[in-house]
Amino acid sequence: MVIAAILLPILVGTLLLVGLPRGLGVLGAGLSFLLNLYLFLAHPGGVAHAVQAPLLPQAGIYWAFGLDGLSALFFLTVALTVFLGALVARVEGRFLGLALLMEGLLLGLFAARDLLVFYLFFEAALLPALLMLLFYGGEGRVRALYTFLLFTLAGSLPMLAAILAAKALGGSPSFLLEDLLAHPVKGGAALWVFLGFALAFAIKTPLFPLHAWLPPFHQENHPSGLADALGTLYKVGVFAFFRFAIPLAPEGFQEVQGLLLLLAALSALYGAWLAFAARDFKTLLAYAGLSHMGVAALGVFSGTEEGALGGLYLLAASGVYTGALFLLAGRLHERVGTLEIGPYRGLAQSAPGMAALALFLFLAMVGLPGLSGFPGELLTLLGAYKASPWLAALAFLSVVASVAYALTAFQKTFWEEGPRPVEDLRGAEWGFAALAVATLLVMGLFPGFFLKGLRPLAEAFFRTLGGGA
Amino acid sequence: MTLLILAFFSVTLTLLGFFVPVPLFKRLVILGLSLGLLSLLVGWGRPFAFGPYQADPVSQAFTLLALLGALWTVGLVRTGRFEFYLLVLYAALGMHLLASTRHLVLMLVALEALSLPLYALATWRRGQGLEAALKYFLLGALAAAFFLYGAALHYGATGSFLAGTPGEGPLYALALGLLLVGLGFKVALAPFHFWTPDVYQGSPTPVVLFMATSVKAAAFAALLRVAAPGAPDALALLIAFSVVLGNLAALSQKEAKRLLAYSSIAHAGYMALALYTGNAQALGFYLLTYVLGTGLAFAVLSEISPDRVPLERLRGLFHRDPLLGLALFLSALSLLGLPPLAGFWGKYLVFAEAAKAGQWGLLVLALLTSAISAYYYLALGLSVFGRGEAEARPKPLARSVALLVALFLLLLGLFPGALLPALAAG
Repeated sequence: MVIAAILLPILVGTLLLVGLPRGLGVLGAGLSFLLNLYLFLAHPGGVAHAVQAPLLPQAGIYWAFGLDGLSALFFLTVALTVFLGALVARVEGRFLGLALLMEGLLLGLFAARDLLVFYLFFEAALLPALLMLLFYGGEGRVRALYTFLLFTLAGSLPMLAAILAAKALGGSPSFLLEDLLAHPVKGGAALWVFLGFALAFAIKTPLFPLHAWLPPFHQENHPSGLADALGTLYKVGVFAFFRFAIPLAPEGFQEVQGLLLLLAALSALYGAWLAFAARDFKTLLAYAGLSHMGVAALGVFSGTEEGALGGLYLLAASGVYTGALFLLAGRLHERVGTLEIGPYRGLAQSAPGMAALALFLFLAMVGLPGLSGFPGELLTLLGAYKASPWLAALAFLSVVASVAYALTAFQKTFWEEGPRPVEDLRGAEWGFAALAVATLLVMGLFPGFFLKGLRPLAEAFFRTLGGGA
Repeated sequence: MTLLILAFFSVTLTLLGFFVPVPLFKRLVILGLSLGLLSLLVGWGRPFAFGPYQADPVSQAFTLLALLGALWTVGLVRTGRFEFYLLVLYAALGMHLLASTRHLVLMLVALEALSLPLYALATWRRGQGLEAALKYFLLGALAAAFFLYGAALHYGATGSFLAGTPGEGPLYALALGLLLVGLGFKVALAPFHFWTPDVYQGSPTPVVLFMATSVKAAAFAALLRVAAPGAPDALALLIAFSVVLGNLAALSQKEAKRLLAYSSIAHAGYMALALYTGNAQALGFYLLTYVLGTGLAFAVLSEISPDRVPLERLRGLFHRDPLLGLALFLSALSLLGLPPLAGFWGKYLVFAEAAKAGQWGLLVLALLTSAISAYYYLALGLSVFGRGEAEARPKPLARSVALLVALFLLLLGLFPGALLPALAAG
């Protein structure tokens, strides 16, 4: 089943690239969403649907995939976001093909139970992102691409070294996750191994000050928002910290925990500050994403059970609402022809449906209780408070700031006096709105349902760090 | 068998060349090379020895790569004179010989047998390549002299001309050092690399393809026999030099062939790292991905111009001819070592060997320089997507081969295990 879930979007994506009509691509995205929904609901706990096939057995590398609570949740949010994008983004079939390809690679990344296979997907997912930017990006795309790729590769090569070192120094017979976990790296080398991982994941998260690739990446991407929605999902750094970097070299993590907590809190605050100053929607959302990732990272770095739970939940939830906001910005761009925040104004009168959807998404983003952002933020701050009350307070400021930037943007766009009316939501966009709002509500009102699968993982994580008993 | 086939075709075709029309001649050369390739596959995994000639797994694997390069070169070229094809065939014979012997004197003969035709090939277009060829010739002769001294000292130190004879003492170390220098020239290891950029830039592109792929394969086979049993520590120094110098120098290149020339120096460094950590399998796999990637890049460049190709001239290639553009893009990514392309596994295996051998210093250096290489490979690969008017008049065959190789790079990247056992057994 896992394999089917990974291969379905890859297959449909490849077919779209060679000329399958766009409509069938949307259907494929929908099917993939339903399949992942089924997988999530039927997931019994523990690692389910584990598969293992030799890739390069001489070197201890296996195609190993499995579904646990964490990957099941991420599967669902990834498939949902791509489906939302396929519904509303006005892009040609090939673009959608790249998006589906990216979806498949992300699913592979989340399900990988072999460190080298994870690396493979981690790097391979670069390709569709790169091609999307290259073929459909704006004027400065080549420069944005360079920045993006150089940052990423500068991180991933040390990570490759860390992967090799984790196996060689830990003495594990293979790159399988359970083997590696049974042989964690000890002593002085642990710090170096952890730093190798941390560099790559901090760039992907992104953590301040390694975020410089982020704004140009979003600004130059296609205005439809589909690429940005995927870019939001591609920030897998926090996930990778939780699943690989920290458990494989816990001693190394503990040595730099304080610094990481500080960086995460700074990211949260700095992102919120820049988002407040942003003049167009993409920059605003990009920096808001940075801020949210900072909060999520703070949760995982706190090393507590609640913090990890909250961080991961926030990661999943923010993928959905930030992605949906990017897509909504794309819809606005199509109607008004610009992404700048100033010129819209007064859209609530002519497009009430759109205004309501935007309000919902923004409120979820600022963490209003009852919507999907809240449980994650609450748990994160609880966990962070245990680790460091001061930093938790600092990060909490970013939540307050998010209310300011989100509501300012909303007010300027949808209220006040507008220059001209625009068309309200239509056709498939209503479907998009309904699905997005339903998800926000379900994730906000029934967090326990989603956290159930994460809890054992967070407990195990807490134990690796020497907590619990 | 391979030796006999190649020798038979070389001699017969030399005589026939004056009577047979050139297009037919070209086909005969292709036939000869293909039969040689076929005989390798038929005899795969079955060693054969006759005096100093030893067709063992190393010889088979590395000859296979060399013949692939030779076939590719012959296929790309269209010239009205039969000598071109004949020279490639002679060089291929020399390469097979070089890969198939432990005997240092025979190695020297083979080295010359493959170098002399290449000197001539480098001058193929009169006027243009003369300076390059002269440089190549002079330095090649110097390298041969180093090798000869090395062989003599090796005999003096161990009483044997067989490479890999264990020995000790300063004389032996000096002998190994000199042999290393001689072969280092051929594979373009820094600091014996300085001919490479000029020769690559000045020679016709299909010939450069030949130099960059086949010559490296054959010379690394020889290097494997000379240096593998207890690789001298001097090699570590050459590796460090090569990866740093090659990658840094490639950064500032604005011309595709020069860029690839410097990057080939860096690749020689990575391959030597595999050699240093004593793994022929990793070396072979790396070389395979390198031959495919570099071969593909040069094949695309030769469709654009047999001459210099500044990066600006590549702009717009993708829009003119999506297939060629994509092929160049993929080859650059593979050379960079980005998964899921085959080049990644080449690098992975080399790096994993280095980690296993505990060579952390070299490993970190290799990784850092690899990250640097991303910059210029992206410049090369992305240039085809820019806006501009690249001229390309590709032949249909060249396009289908380019497509095939690009696909193979992808498949090999996804299923490296399918091919690696063959390398392990063979």
